[in-house]
Amino acid sequence: MGIEQIPIHVDNGSDGLSGNASAILREVADMLDRLARTGETGAIDLAALPLTPADKAWLSERLGKGEVEISMELNGASRIHETAYPGIWWITHLNPMGAEIGEFIEVTPIPDMVPSQSDDIVRGSESLNFLINDLC
Amino acid sequence: MSDKNSGLIASLAHQGISRRTFMKYCATLASMMALPPSAGRAMAEAMAAARRPSVIWLPFQECTGCTESITRSHSPSLEGLIFDAISLDYQETLMAAAGHQAEEALEKAIEENKGKFVLIIDGSVATGLDGAYSCIAGRTNLELLKRVAPHAGAIVAMGSCAAFGGIPKANPNPTAAVAVTDIIKDKPVVNIPGCPPIPVVMTGVLAHYLTFGSLPELDKLGRPKAFYGETIHDRCYRRPFYDQGKFAKTFDDEGARKGWCLFELGCKGPVTYNACATVKWNGGTSWPVESGHGCLGCSEPDFWDGGGFYRALSMPADPLKMAATAAVVGTAAGVAATFANRAKKGAAKSAHETVTLADLEK
Repeated sequence: MGIEQIPIHVDNGSDGLSGNASAILREVADMLDRLARTGETGAIDLAALPLTPADKAWLSERLGKGEVEISMELNGASRIHETAYPGIWWITHLNPMGAEIGEFIEVTPIPDMVPSQSDDIVRGSESLNFLINDLC
Repeated sequence: MSDKNSGLIASLAHQGISRRTFMKYCATLASMMALPPSAGRAMAEAMAAARRPSVIWLPFQECTGCTESITRSHSPSLEGLIFDAISLDYQETLMAAAGHQAEEALEKAIEENKGKFVLIIDGSVATGLDGAYSCIAGRTNLELLKRVAPHAGAIVAMGSCAAFGGIPKANPNPTAAVAVTDIIKDKPVVNIPGCPPIPVVMTGVLAHYLTFGSLPELDKLGRPKAFYGETIHDRCYRRPFYDQGKFAKTFDDEGARKGWCLFELGCKGPVTYNACATVKWNGGTSWPVESGHGCLGCSEPDFWDGGGFYRALSMPADPLKMAATAAVVGTAAGVAATFANRAKKGAAKSAHETVTLADLEK
């Protein structure tokens, strides 16, 4: 039996908002402003302060969805989408069992994890050459 | 495996771990350690560049459960792979070498990595009969610890036995078992208690050491604050029921089925500092309280002698010792109560009555 099946209803007042989501929204807005002016990137770990499910839903709704959505398989799924505000990305990491292990907002032109990494490119090139040598 | 001087990341790459996967791991590890997101990036860079750290693992009076915790998981965990990627120069359970060869490997690892290697110890140190209760290759655990520890760069006491003496130290402690910190006084020791400890705590400490060149911040019992900073109770998903006064009274009543608080069934969550409630076990599948059993408090000192796993924390652990003035009266009353309880237990057994938790505790 998972936690979902246990009928726990945590009462956080009528709307379930703790007030932390709007604080994060302002912090993100400030980071985006800095990115626009100076190019400085920023990130927020959403696990670092208490957020109720309603807080997360509120934040996610306010930020919306933009043009890009990426799904990755990195020892468990990871999903990244750009929000409706270019430069603000929402990142969710799952473990191989499908449990959420991390959630971040990154304020950057492109999250670090998205581009092919130089070590991986080198290894990719080596294995492709192996493959071609095998063909001959 | 790749040669010893190659980096940690090269070794992981050999096992099919991409740099991206490693970055994800470091990001979630930093998050778990309550470090800022930028630390995840720093960890990924520092650990990738690091030469595979030399690790000497000394098993003393232990059950190998700590090794099992790290090396066994039904899907290959990154903790397990990082454990494979470190240069594990001496670990009796896992190393292929045996006898003189194994002992030579130990001496060689000490000489080659003086002041730099990470020393992991699991199991308590027997001090009775000059340590004769537990010997490896003709040397007592005590001798071995005193030989290796002065040359270590960092010392980690893995599991409750190494950290606090654990089950070998439980009453009546026949081997006079002590914790690593009872022997090593001149160096900081990171305690990673738990029976067994959570694997990610070990990689967290290792990552911190490789990234910042220092040990993470520790609490007064030498435990990394990032993982042992809050009680099980504070982070328990059943906490709202405690606050509402809704308790399971037996393991199969309505309250138990509804997932109410296990405090009255002896849960030690309120006095136990560990990360089970957030990190969970078996790849985040579950943890003791989620599977319906109270916390045993296995990461706290002397948990084995705490007065009973099914006794609520609010019940005095040992009423007979509470006040010296009441001792005489108390003893007499206690003996009488014991006889009465034995009789009740016997009667319940013969009549196939349900034995309640209170009966078990007596």
